[in-house]
Amino acid sequence: MEFDIIITNAARAAVGPEALILALAAIGLNMHFGYTGLLNFGQVGFMLLGAYGTSVAVATFGWSLWLGVLLGLILATAFAITLGLPTLRLHALLFAIVTIAAAEIVRILVGSTDAIGLTGGPLSISFDAGAFYDLNPYPDGPNDRYGAGTFEFTGQQLWVMTVGWTLVALVSVGVFLLVRSPWGRVLKSIREDQDAARSLGKNVFTYKLQALVIGGLIAGLGGVLDAIKTSGADPNGFRPQVTFFAYAALLLGGLATYIGPVLGAILFWFLRELIESFLRQLVAQTWLPDAIANFFDGAEGIISVGMVGLALILLMLFRPQGIVGSRNEMQLNG
Amino acid sequence: MVKSVQPILTVPAEVGTPKPNPILVVDCLERSFDGLKAVDIDHLEIERGVVTSLIGPNGAGKTTLFNLLSGFEQADKGRWQFDGQPATHTSPDKLARRGMIRTFQLTKSLSKLTVLDNVLLGAPDQQGERLWAAPFQSKWQQQEQANRQRAEELLERFNLTHMCHELAGTLSGGQRKLLEVARALMANPVLIMLDEPMAGVNPALGQSLMRHITQLAFEGVSVVFIEHAMEVVTGLSDWIVVLAQGQVIAEGPPWKVIHDEAVVDAYLGGQQENRQR
Repeated sequence: MEFDIIITNAARAAVGPEALILALAAIGLNMHFGYTGLLNFGQVGFMLLGAYGTSVAVATFGWSLWLGVLLGLILATAFAITLGLPTLRLHALLFAIVTIAAAEIVRILVGSTDAIGLTGGPLSISFDAGAFYDLNPYPDGPNDRYGAGTFEFTGQQLWVMTVGWTLVALVSVGVFLLVRSPWGRVLKSIREDQDAARSLGKNVFTYKLQALVIGGLIAGLGGVLDAIKTSGADPNGFRPQVTFFAYAALLLGGLATYIGPVLGAILFWFLRELIESFLRQLVAQTWLPDAIANFFDGAEGIISVGMVGLALILLMLFRPQGIVGSRNEMQLNG
Repeated sequence: MVKSVQPILTVPAEVGTPKPNPILVVDCLERSFDGLKAVDIDHLEIERGVVTSLIGPNGAGKTTLFNLLSGFEQADKGRWQFDGQPATHTSPDKLARRGMIRTFQLTKSLSKLTVLDNVLLGAPDQQGERLWAAPFQSKWQQQEQANRQRAEELLERFNLTHMCHELAGTLSGGQRKLLEVARALMANPVLIMLDEPMAGVNPALGQSLMRHITQLAFEGVSVVFIEHAMEVVTGLSDWIVVLAQGQVIAEGPPWKVIHDEAVVDAYLGGQQENRQR
């Protein structure tokens, strides 16, 4: 067992592009669920539109990458508005059902064979993200590597991470500025009791829609980065579990905290990779009985997600406020 | 109890009687639950700038009436005016912005906000509540400071200063009632509708709350409150409206209403009547 490799693998995943994309999705969810109480189970739909907006604009329409980014963000906003207008007046649970269905609808639409000409359909779509990598300040020759051992990135990866984590920081500051304002106070009042907010003259629907758009836009930005990172998009990358991973990250870190969703996303990927690497090394051990090795072999990824779920259950039992949340706030009800 | 010579004193104590300067005018208001009429009011006027109390036995429809008038429940039929403007089919938040502020029988203090934030939430026309201004503190800082000062004054009046920065969920039931009233006052109401503001509040604080309510009316705010205890109501109100089974069965100044036969019958309950016989 080479534990140093397991640790560096985990650390690599914790700061890598997947973690920052998850962080953006979780920050958006925090806006929805953490501060406003909107049970949005369709966060992945916003990410998909961000990713496909960019991809389709560049690959199909032949637009510049930056126009593509803009289209991705506009589509995410439009999704928030079309989703919110008819459903935000509904009961919270009905809203939740509609969001998960809406996200599935867009995934099935872009992945359908009828959409091959536009989105690539079930095949993935790919485009040239050169305009992004042209700005890369890190030398990116075939032998350029950054880091040490398995904790190592190419110049391109490092550039995606630099831009991505900077965006995570900027977005977090933006959310902080919004939430600490009187506007944020209204959101929190809606989260707890929307009739109280109404009785004091707050137009609850408008605030919910604003929160939905902002959180969706942040997730859309995550989708845009995902498209740039992989120079394309694939409908299979936007299955409902992505939303639940974002929830896991948010709950791990701490609901309705500024830093919680970011810490949670980092921890989520750290744990996931840690367990997966460990299992992968475990099945290679000669002392392990064959039956057990065969059971784990090839299922390391699934099992590690399951273990993260288990960690989440334990966390909810022993520290329901997450890593940085306030226990006091958590325990006050009604 | 007479604060000044009030026009309301010249109004005859009859059900549905017109008032000299009404803040609320209700016509043909009906609401049923499963065929049972919870509210069935032919005509009711609430006078501006005085304290009106709404009394009646449990299930008389007092809270339902509040819910209907403030837009939280839909009426089956009827129409009403608030401050001279139609108020039928108007959303609760719009009515609140027009100055009709209500509290709830089961308090809606927001337990995960601080006591101070609860009160600040009540302040009307906040710049910082607009999305475009919210991230820029300089745009709303000054107004927030002024609001904060006023909020602190209100909290002091209700003996909540020491709890200012605590989460409202840590307050006792009585304190939450007071907090809700403070928050409602923060909204600069034209009409304040209090649903059992004294329930669960300790008597000394209840007294101070009551003084505050009369002071409000003196300042020109119209006050309507729901209350159970007749003795609280009589000392405090300028006008009493008695509801039973959804209907107004009597209204008038306190000294007339408490001797009204229909009231004694319906409100004080048959038992007392029976005992006297």
